[in-house]
Amino acid sequence: MNRSYVSAFRFLLLVFAVLSCFVVLLGRLYYLHVVQHERLAGLADKARNRVQVVNARRGDIVDARGNLLATTNAVYTIGLDPHSLKEEDYAKIPEIARLLDLPEAKLTEAFDTRYRLGSGEAGKEPRAIRWTKLAENVEEPVYEQLSALGVRAVYGNRQYMRVYPGGELAAHVLGYVNKEAQPVMGVESYLDFYLRGQDGWHESERDGRRQELAQFRRREVEATNGLSVELSLSASIQHAVEEEVRRVVAEFNPQAVTIIVGEPATGYILAMANYPSFDPNHFWDFPIDAQRNRAVTDMFEPGSTFKIVPAAAALNEGLVKADTVFDCAAPTAEYKGRTIKLPGDAHRMEDLTVEEIVYKSSNRGAAQLGILLGEQKLYQYARAFGYGEASGYAPSPEAPGTLHPVSAWDGLTISRLPMGHAVSATPIQVHAAMGSVANGGVLMEPQVVRRVFDESGETVVRFAPRARRRAVTPETAAQICDMLEKVVGGEGTAKRAFIEDYAVAGKTGTTQKIIDGRYSSQHHVASFSGFFPADSPRLVITVVVDDPEMRGPAYGGLVAAPAFRNVAKHCISTLGIPPVETDAELVSASGITPSSLAENSARTRPIATAF
Amino acid sequence: MLTQLASAVKNQRLARFVRHNDEHRTDWVGPACIALLGLVGVFFIYSAQSYSGGGAWKMQIMWLLVGAAVYTLISLVNYKVFLEYAHIVYWAGVLLLLPLAAQSLLGVDLPLVETRSGSTRWYDFGPISIQPTELAKIGTLVMVSSILARSEIGTFRESIKVLIKVGFAFFLPLFLIFLQPDLGSALVFPPMVFSLLYVSKLSQRFFAVSFAAFVAVVLIVGFDVYRYKSFMESNDLSFLNDTGAYQGQSIIPLKDYQRNRILTFAAPQVVDPRGTGVAWNLNQSLIAVAGGGLSGKGLGEGTQAKLGYLPPTVATNDFIFPVLAEESGFLGSALVLLLFLVLVANGIRIAGLARDRFGMLLAVGVSVVFMVHIFVNIGMTIGLMPITGLPLPFLSYGGSFVLSCCILQGLIQSVYRFRKDFS
Repeated sequence: MNRSYVSAFRFLLLVFAVLSCFVVLLGRLYYLHVVQHERLAGLADKARNRVQVVNARRGDIVDARGNLLATTNAVYTIGLDPHSLKEEDYAKIPEIARLLDLPEAKLTEAFDTRYRLGSGEAGKEPRAIRWTKLAENVEEPVYEQLSALGVRAVYGNRQYMRVYPGGELAAHVLGYVNKEAQPVMGVESYLDFYLRGQDGWHESERDGRRQELAQFRRREVEATNGLSVELSLSASIQHAVEEEVRRVVAEFNPQAVTIIVGEPATGYILAMANYPSFDPNHFWDFPIDAQRNRAVTDMFEPGSTFKIVPAAAALNEGLVKADTVFDCAAPTAEYKGRTIKLPGDAHRMEDLTVEEIVYKSSNRGAAQLGILLGEQKLYQYARAFGYGEASGYAPSPEAPGTLHPVSAWDGLTISRLPMGHAVSATPIQVHAAMGSVANGGVLMEPQVVRRVFDESGETVVRFAPRARRRAVTPETAAQICDMLEKVVGGEGTAKRAFIEDYAVAGKTGTTQKIIDGRYSSQHHVASFSGFFPADSPRLVITVVVDDPEMRGPAYGGLVAAPAFRNVAKHCISTLGIPPVETDAELVSASGITPSSLAENSARTRPIATAF
Repeated sequence: MLTQLASAVKNQRLARFVRHNDEHRTDWVGPACIALLGLVGVFFIYSAQSYSGGGAWKMQIMWLLVGAAVYTLISLVNYKVFLEYAHIVYWAGVLLLLPLAAQSLLGVDLPLVETRSGSTRWYDFGPISIQPTELAKIGTLVMVSSILARSEIGTFRESIKVLIKVGFAFFLPLFLIFLQPDLGSALVFPPMVFSLLYVSKLSQRFFAVSFAAFVAVVLIVGFDVYRYKSFMESNDLSFLNDTGAYQGQSIIPLKDYQRNRILTFAAPQVVDPRGTGVAWNLNQSLIAVAGGGLSGKGLGEGTQAKLGYLPPTVATNDFIFPVLAEESGFLGSALVLLLFLVLVANGIRIAGLARDRFGMLLAVGVSVVFMVHIFVNIGMTIGLMPITGLPLPFLSYGGSFVLSCCILQGLIQSVYRFRKDFS
């Protein structure tokens, strides 16, 4: 070839330049395609892969009659994708605005705003709007109506919201689910395994706008909704109990109040309320202190309510009879070759029978019963009645109380433990011990859950009543019942707990609180635990009031017994508990009639006291 | 379709308009490459849009058909016509650039002139937009070739008048394109003109000086971009959100987004540490190419463009190559690269066959223009070059560009057909 216009060298250089360009491209392509393939391709798959969790609906919690205590509502966040709008959708603006309770002008504006300014390469540039939030917390029926309109551009994302319709009702029993959907306490936490269900998931790919591509959906696992839980609670009784708690708070301004209502025969709890309380719907507004279920966590010295232990023990062991007499004037007693000082009574007592020791609540008498029993037996019976061990109430972490083993006792314990000192217990322990007396001597496990059931109502798990042990024989229990019935009689400490025709039995407790290491004469814990009808007990009710404000000692008979009576009366009408034949002899012996009861309530000085 | 047209050319009725001095001859290598590349382009434009919908592939077929007609027309006309009338083509291109530059510079709103995201590059005729830069490119090529073909070029001193003419013809459209601004298109001009000067036997010294000047420009731009980086970092400004903060105080007329592109090329993690801003397209493009592997994901099986990772606005034109690379793998992209190589090499071969300077210059110029397009476009999608808006011949979607490529290749065919043979 004759290249008269181009030098061969320059022409070749041009060819070389072109060729090297291609070689460079080819080399780089080889590097990317073959060498970098694994690394970059994996990166892309990871970005595209999308697992969308389909939340399971959490099960309901209902009371024994099926009243909703905790439920889960599906609410929808409604949004709009202006780019999916069709011409005919504009005609439906008024309808959508009505359903979502939005001004039409605002909705029209949302329909027309398709771009916003976002920052791009060359400054601000328009970005497509694919989601404009229109409304939040839209209820299911409204959403269904909205879907029926057939506007595909308007759609919602479902969210579940845990709702407690009763507000504070049974808050401590239920517990709550926090904002991270984690159950925090109560039944919510205890039975979370059944309640939470099994989340499902959709596995698919998503596009560059992070939207799901349904055509690439690989796996769909539907959610299994949670099971529901039926409690033994009665919403009605629970409500009345909480009202009563509020009344006690209004009257005595205490630091804390606990009321427990239960069935002695089964151990099922019908109501359990504490002050201070909280509303699980907005738990975050309440101090953490208010969220504690004090009925099972807070310990106090039970005081005289504990006296049923030495009395029942001595009777059960055959050491005494109900009419065995003790000299309750004697200030000292012999024990194991030592002379010990006996605790005093508020009023000087003379010779008392065992029965009188119980219903007059004599400290000195109880101490003599303890000495008669001996350390080992006293300890064994205290354990048998459930002191010093967790009651088995499962939904909340429980304090086991304090009951020192005999080896840790000092010289005074044998005389102080019988009157409920040197021991600490939770309200539920006092309640369970009293329940065992009402239940013929068998200690039951306090339970609040009856069953777990599925959507069709079929029982999945049944929580049957569970007996823990026999504490005393039925005969002993019956004798104690008779004694406790007299507590609410004319000479007893708790006349304010009396209900005509219902043979109430119970025991007061009044303990001084230990402030700065010493028993305080100003601060008390007033308690009453009782049951009725005495012959065939239906309900056990325990009231504990911590540090009520009043002049003079805050006796259990003054503060706690009226609360017992108010709750008991409500239960009688709610549950339709029939009255029992009045024992005429008992009434005449106690000298109490409904009218004299009213007079008594005006008196501030009780006739018997217990420390 | 090209074979049909070619047979039409052979047909006596059409052949009457084609006056040959020599025996009947046509180059078939070029048209074959063009036809194959065009078909490949249509397929991958279709593939890129197959989920989002969009009829770009149909438009591309239409443009390719129009392009084939234009190609035939140009190849039937003796290229020497342009030696006479180069200035008409050239001035037409420059005049069309004027309103664009005016609107971009003065901010006035002229009829038909369209500004998209800060760049004024198009005339908007409703359904189609025309990019006059393409005509200016052809005009400048023809003009410079024409000037050089008529003049004796030797040492720098001897040919100074010619060089001034060439310089004027070169800088005027380049300046107007800079004003739009369209850095990518402007990038084509210098290699084109320099290669024309180079094969015109201009003295080596000129190129040594030019090369030094080029290095100086690169250094100045590099220093400016470095200053930009320091400025943004010391003032705690975001590269992505505070564009425009620096450009006022620089002596170089670059926009900050252009600095961002250079910086993204040099140091992507500085500008866009999360890879979601200016580095997004490049990252997704690299992922697409690498995802293809040796043999590709399969035709129509690519995901990067379909799922919108490669933004739909660029997947069919500037970034069509990664779509192809993802679906057809190394084998496919190497094959396309081979087709391009054959096309460019064929142009250079025809330049060598030409027996007059104008024909030779045209063929060299066209081949270099193609080379630049191919190298810059593919280079940017695989991280060898900064991102510029330079499309890939016959593959990228775009009417003006398809037509301009067909005209340029038509010129080569014309050179082949109407060259003088001494044998």
